Amino acid sequence: MEYESVIGLEIHVELNCATKMFCDCPNRPGDEPNRNTCPICLWFPGAIPKFSGEALEKASMICLGLNCQIQERSAFDQKVYYYPDLPKGFQLSQAHKPLARNGWLDITGEDGKPKKLRIHHIHMEEDVAKLVHEMEGRTPISLVDFNRAGVPLVEIVTEPDMRSPHDAMEFIRALRTQIRYVGSADCSMESGTMRVDANISIRPKGTDQMNTKVEVKNMNSIRHLGDAITYEIQRQIACLQGGEPIVLHTRLWDPEKKVTTAMRGKFSGPCVPDPAVAQILVSQAWLNEMQARLPEMPARKAERFIRQFGLTREEAVMMSAERDLSEYAEAVINQGIKPKTATHWLATQFLPALRERRQTIADTTVKPDRFAGLLSMLERDEINANAAREILNQLFERDESPAALVEKAGVRQISDATALEGLVEKILEANPSAVADFRNGVAKAMGFLIGQAMQASGGKANPKLIREILTNKMGV
Amino acid sequence: MPSDVFSYREPSPSSRGKDGALSRMKVALQPNISVHGWPAEAGSMALKRFVALEDATVVERLRGAGAILAGSTHMSELGFGLAGDSTASAVSGDHADCALITDSMGEARVAASMTGLWALKPTYGIVSRLGLIGLVPSMECYGVVATQPRDIASVMKVIAGRDVNDFSMPDLAIPDFHLDGEKGSAVKTIAVLKDCLELLSADEAELFHSGLSRLEKAGFNLQETSVADFGLFRTVHQVVGSVEASSSAGKYDGVRYGHRASTAKNWNEMYLKSRAESFGMPVKAYLFQGAYFQFENFDAFEDACRIRARLLKAADDLMARVDAVALPTRRKGYPAEKAGTVSQVYDAFLLTLAASVTGLPALQIPGVVTDGRFDSGLQLVGRQLSDPHLLSAGARLLY
Repeated sequence: MEYESVIGLEIHVELNCATKMFCDCPNRPGDEPNRNTCPICLWFPGAIPKFSGEALEKASMICLGLNCQIQERSAFDQKVYYYPDLPKGFQLSQAHKPLARNGWLDITGEDGKPKKLRIHHIHMEEDVAKLVHEMEGRTPISLVDFNRAGVPLVEIVTEPDMRSPHDAMEFIRALRTQIRYVGSADCSMESGTMRVDANISIRPKGTDQMNTKVEVKNMNSIRHLGDAITYEIQRQIACLQGGEPIVLHTRLWDPEKKVTTAMRGKFSGPCVPDPAVAQILVSQAWLNEMQARLPEMPARKAERFIRQFGLTREEAVMMSAERDLSEYAEAVINQGIKPKTATHWLATQFLPALRERRQTIADTTVKPDRFAGLLSMLERDEINANAAREILNQLFERDESPAALVEKAGVRQISDATALEGLVEKILEANPSAVADFRNGVAKAMGFLIGQAMQASGGKANPKLIREILTNKMGV
Repeated sequence: MPSDVFSYREPSPSSRGKDGALSRMKVALQPNISVHGWPAEAGSMALKRFVALEDATVVERLRGAGAILAGSTHMSELGFGLAGDSTASAVSGDHADCALITDSMGEARVAASMTGLWALKPTYGIVSRLGLIGLVPSMECYGVVATQPRDIASVMKVIAGRDVNDFSMPDLAIPDFHLDGEKGSAVKTIAVLKDCLELLSADEAELFHSGLSRLEKAGFNLQETSVADFGLFRTVHQVVGSVEASSSAGKYDGVRYGHRASTAKNWNEMYLKSRAESFGMPVKAYLFQGAYFQFENFDAFEDACRIRARLLKAADDLMARVDAVALPTRRKGYPAEKAGTVSQVYDAFLLTLAASVTGLPALQIPGVVTDGRFDSGLQLVGRQLSDPHLLSAGARLLY
């Protein structure tokens, strides 16, 4: 029998708010353990949670970026369970009345066609503390670090619309792009600011039944997500073929062994309305304000890049995928650089150079005006491509203008035809056999002669001009 | 330093506070109200040796108004019921002018009725709960106990009002606690509930009627009426209250503070043993009931929440027709101080639960429903935010 998989995702995203969700402690989980704590996030007796307006705003921006409808009324519940990382006995989460419902994202399916994947709802919740297990001599000890307790999260729950690891991976890529665009979170699976759990079930291809699902956790990259889903689909098919029933439970992805292993039954505790955290009522005016803060999103920006700058779809999508890059590219183009030149040089030279130096667009010293200055010299034939690459490297190292660096390096291109003519004469005299080859129709002889001329000029000659003069002199 | 009345007093208490609305007023506090540097054990092993880190908002306001903190008293475990509570006797024994008793099911009102004192359970949400170590967040209030309504009003004027750090406070217009005849005469019609009378024994009913006739003599119009499902206040309170208590007590794990079991093989056992040793009866039974509704019978909890909404509506409808409702405060033969099981606790507080479930203000008045030997107390339950009107109307009975 042929099977197909049914996949839904639950994605936890840590918001980049300044404070925790219910107190004024800094939202910096990586600090020295238990530094960022107070009576509220330690849940001391007598404390009352103070819901953060910033968390609501950042969460709402994510909801809008994912095309969800923000609900007029939402509320926090107590998700009741006991574990040392949750020492008040419940997690504040929106189980019954989530912040937003009914969203979607478009991806490109495996068949190359666009595919719409739906989001069931998005709710807010607080993160729990972190457990650290250590040895004190020969005694195992367990420590609790409350820096993460109360860190603001949203959980995005999709509909089971995905049918393959490809769909899931593309969805996460699209989701990450959207969320980074609205600026509410970093969304790094590697560093744990985005955690993706996959619910996977299988069914005979062509049917629409919903079978028992298995939850898989602990994937810390998009590639691992794809690998874990692929493994889990194969495992479930093998189970069914072996006559073994699928039971509802949670499995952990082991990135070393590339297998999933059973962890525990899926949580199904009670969710009790919290009596202390006020319900959230959203007014239309507030919603309008949030809408107005929404930046131009990538899909729309790519369309505009095609229309306004004449980029191909591929170029436009690449230039708009990250907000920082899109804004950088647009700033370079706005300095008068041809969009094609800007796009080409960003993709093939600038981004690799950034990666090589472990810099980001946000922190690099090569700001758009410096990069545009370099490209404009290239476009005006003041330097050639080789020189431009060399000067780009220097831009990263020295805080000087591209023009100054070009002067210092002495790579300004010689575009003076009379000066170059003399040089070409010498080359022709010195290489009669190449000239003869060329006249006999050996095309590559031209390349050789240009190379000789460039070398003789110390790399400074304008190669286009050299070619023109050579062509004239050899009389073709 | 500890005595029958006080569990803690400051080693050298200031003999007088600074000048202010409550200058020279001595206030006794239950030890579940946070006073910076004072033990705040809330009568429970779960908070053994816990010392408050900050002043509760009410404490800060009392201090600011010049009140003297007389000391913290003895209280029942986590304030559930009144077994072992000495707070009201701090006032009746003249150790303090006024006391704050956490009122989640009627504790302040019943304690006052037992000691011949006045008590106001204010409208829910007009006093900050920040720093109150409570158990039932949606019902608990500070009840103010004193020898006369004027003192209660003075304290309320100081402690009521918005607190920017208590985000759980609803947006209510805080009433003006200046007592005057105008406010008192606003309370004209007082309802007597048939459904309540039916619950009383013949003895209790006779006593209550004698009190009602004193109300009539003082010029109030009595109106006998009925309210649907009066008997369900108890069920709703018990289901919702136990669930909230179970959640509230979840934080007592013996790790960050409180009692920790000395012997345990692993952490799981440490948590189980610490919690088992931390709670006594009847709190432990109450927490189990809450956990039962959370984990095994959530439908019943949701039903209780729905019925609570219906009871609130019924109370609103009734309050549109009358200015207050009269009830006895406590029952004869159901001593709150001796209640040792959850059922006995609820029996003892049967008549005070309605105001806790609805959040309406309720005033306990001494010396009205009494035969000279037993004072069951008269309870006037008023409209939301009518607290000063109740106090002014009550004052009419003094003369």
